[in-house]
Amino acid sequence: MAGSIEWLLLAYRLPREPSTPRIAVWRKLGSLGVLKIGDGLVALPAGARSQEQLEWIADEIADAGGEATLWRSRLTSVRAERALVDRMAGSIAAEYRRVIAAAADARRSGRAMKSVVARLRRDLRRISQRDYFPPPEREQARLAVESLAAELPSPMPEQARP
Amino acid sequence: MKWATRVGCHVDRAACAWLIRRFVDPAAVFVFVGDPDEVPADATAFDMPGAELSHHGGDCSFETVLARFELDDPVLWDIAKIVHEADLEDERFDAPEARGLDVLCRGLSMILEDETMLSAARPLFDGLYEYRRRALLAGRDPS
Repeated sequence: MAGSIEWLLLAYRLPREPSTPRIAVWRKLGSLGVLKIGDGLVALPAGARSQEQLEWIADEIADAGGEATLWRSRLTSVRAERALVDRMAGSIAAEYRRVIAAAADARRSGRAMKSVVARLRRDLRRISQRDYFPPPEREQARLAVESLAAELPSPMPEQARP
Repeated sequence: MKWATRVGCHVDRAACAWLIRRFVDPAAVFVFVGDPDEVPADATAFDMPGAELSHHGGDCSFETVLARFELDDPVLWDIAKIVHEADLEDERFDAPEARGLDVLCRGLSMILEDETMLSAARPLFDGLYEYRRRALLAGRDPS
């Protein structure tokens, strides 16, 4: 039986030099949370937003003198699909665990400061944007940050702030 | 003049359409296509791969349109930071409004066809323009 998830595949080649566009593309793909399938081949579950973002990156690769094509595809094996999903969920779970650890650290050191909470919330938001197959750690991380927020000193009026 | 962009108007396309209609071409007519090849010959394409008025060198299409038409109104460049972060989320600018604007535009595009969505987004951007204009004049957020 074929896989049930439709994937977008970006196949690309970029000149080795100059390295600036290579790094820019690599960073953008990273922030989208793509799955690296091979050299110059990355995948994302299909979706309007994913497609648009990958199209921009393909355009940027062409502008930098490279070549890029974007494909829609399905795996022929359910088992292989499961393995890819597990890989994506596994790497995103590790990111959530880092947030959980940071929240625990802040709690232990009694540093439940507004700025720390704000930073962890921002990290969570960024991680969840590239989380296509949410693992249990997602909810655990959210709870860890919210319970840290609950320990913040009660808010003071704006003017009373130092 | 005729302008073409992709179907499914999110924040950058909605912002560009608003900008074009209000500051570049008050008589603008918009057409929506599924693929760059479907752009009519007499239309100017924007926010589409391959188009001149598009993402370039880390800028979003809104910033490209501003630069291309030499619109130097500081309020528009202020809004550009918000649109940039809403569209690209690359932390180049500090624009806490970005996420809210993105969600509002996405929501509108879920319930409305493209043409209606652009009409609905107009007062949203007009209001944002007025708010940021007053903020720039006063040097602080208006109450």
